[in-house]
Amino acid sequence: MSKLSEDYTIDELMVVTLARQFTDADIMLNGTVSYIPVSAFMLARETHAPKLTWVAGAVGVDADPGYIVGNTLDPTMWKDCVMYLPQISDMWGYVHSNTLETFCIRGAQIDKYGNVNNSVIGKDYHRPKVRLPGSAGMGDMCSLHKKIYIWSTTHNPRTFVDKVDFLAAPGYLDGGDARAKLGLRNGPEVVVTDLCVMDFEPTSKRMRLKSVHRGVSAKQVQDETGFELVTPDHVLETPAPSVEEIELLRKKIDPKNMRKIEFRGSKTKV
Amino acid sequence: MAAGKENKVMSAAQAVGMIRDGDTVAIQGMGTQMSPLALVREIIKARKRNLIAAMIVGGIGLDWLIAAGCVKKVMAIIVNLDEFGMANAFRRAVEAGELMMEEYTEHQMLTRFSAGCYGLPFMTTQSGIGSAIVDLHPDTTKVIDCPFTGQKVIACRALTPDVCILHAHRADEVGNVQFFPKPIWGDVDVFPRASKKVIVTVEEIVSTDEIRRTPERTGLPYFKVDAVVPVKYGAHPCSLFPRYNFDRQVMERYAAESRTPEGTQAFLEKYVRAPRTQEDYLDLVGGSTMEARIQSFWS
Ligand SMILES: CC(C)(COP(=O)(O)OP(=O)(O)OC[C@H]1O[C@@H](n2cnc3c(N)ncnc32)[C@H](O)[C@@H]1OP(=O)(O)O)[C@@H](O)C(=O)NCCC(=O)NCCS
Repeated sequence: MSKLSEDYTIDELMVVTLARQFTDADIMLNGTVSYIPVSAFMLARETHAPKLTWVAGAVGVDADPGYIVGNTLDPTMWKDCVMYLPQISDMWGYVHSNTLETFCIRGAQIDKYGNVNNSVIGKDYHRPKVRLPGSAGMGDMCSLHKKIYIWSTTHNPRTFVDKVDFLAAPGYLDGGDARAKLGLRNGPEVVVTDLCVMDFEPTSKRMRLKSVHRGVSAKQVQDETGFELVTPDHVLETPAPSVEEIELLRKKIDPKNMRKIEFRGSKTKV
Repeated sequence: MAAGKENKVMSAAQAVGMIRDGDTVAIQGMGTQMSPLALVREIIKARKRNLIAAMIVGGIGLDWLIAAGCVKKVMAIIVNLDEFGMANAFRRAVEAGELMMEEYTEHQMLTRFSAGCYGLPFMTTQSGIGSAIVDLHPDTTKVIDCPFTGQKVIACRALTPDVCILHAHRADEVGNVQFFPKPIWGDVDVFPRASKKVIVTVEEIVSTDEIRRTPERTGLPYFKVDAVVPVKYGAHPCSLFPRYNFDRQVMERYAAESRTPEGTQAFLEKYVRAPRTQEDYLDLVGGSTMEARIQSFWS
């Protein structure tokens, strides 16, 4: 066991926690503004999952940019890849045929069944209170049998809502077997936020608290969540990163601290 | 309708003359890369109106077009400035009810274009089953049963834009267009083939003999191209990989100034409307200092 880090920050904990979800068998794609997952893929490859495949920006197969240079869809991310994946024929082919089985998403609203919305805030889609960027690849991935990893740097009642205003990316829909009934396999697995880690209760498919980050209480998480979380009697603390993981992240993978861009709207200061 | 083998080199202003008010225009681009932005500036100067912008990812160029009042409807999967945040003119226009956003999942959008390429009335995808996105536009996407297995699939109606605008690395005079690397992005792949007219801006014009040396790099043959416009740094402030990077300074300035409508208009006035030529524009954004800024991808 390598020494545990004592001076890690929340962005780093989120990356490490997400990285530990992935294995050598995973083939990961990334989309826009995805610094936390991209850092996690790169870290997993440097530590416990050296054979994990990362298709950088959904284009550069098994790329090795060394560190995060610019944004997560930038061609700099494709460096030293073995192939540029043509989008329509190949990338979407592998996605539909389930050769690629996992995807990471973030959204402005996430509800208790893991449905995600990054399109509009407000009940009228055509006259929204807030027009958000749009669903990008999440509407695809969530309906194409993927195991979905959700991350969010803004764990608050505005992001974690009872029901999404617009159902862009289907999680477990209304819970229970609603997703399966539509013929959709897999779905949201884990949610990693700036406060905690959550998963989904197997029968009801409701979001369930799994561990809280250092210094955060279960009550605090509940107060920052817009619906009632399934909360076990004993909530663990999210395992701390190792010194090695933190060094890799700070010095090698993201020395420019690009991942901190994702905390623009977060109360958590990193 | 195939284009001929004649010389198609023309100015940006001449090429933009092919676009009529109300046209559906397929615009290549991503948040920070490969977009025909010199041509977009020309469209704004020509005061085109009521355009329908069809994109996968709408970025800074789309935001300019919206701010300039050229666009009545956007068809896309996402509109943002990537790491620079929200596309503010887009956001304000939709929130004010002045702009329609017809949102698709990525594969629905690509499938609409693909059907357009083949001349089919529609093609299908699985993408978006269970999402409310499919219900947003019953005229173009519909859940149907597979006639063989009964499985639910989404029929995506063919999209055949009036014009497609692209920026590429180089072309010859008749319009054989080369990309390095060859088309991998969905927009460069299906946008031109689905469109009725294709306008391509390129960094340089080379001879057909030069093209024949590396046919594996040609992404579009002359018979699908209607106009070739030489424009150096034609994607600026976005990147043209691997030739030049995006211009962080200009992207950041626009992201900051576009936070208010006044700031957006001031930016448009200064960087889009005032420069008479591409040379004026390049001088304005820094000339040789700009070139130095976007030289390297690694910093
Ligand atoms: C989630 C996301 C929209 C946040 O954007 P951001 O620019 O980093 O952060 P901000 O928190 O500043 O949000 C932008 C705006 O939306 C508003 N907003 C965000 N969430 C909101 C919500 N739930 N309700 C109301 N407004 C909201 C913010 O208030 C802000 O507007 P303001 O500047 O007027 O205050 C953005 O990171 C994103 O699109 N992520 C998607 C990543 C992803 O899933 N990629 C893979 C799929 S391809």
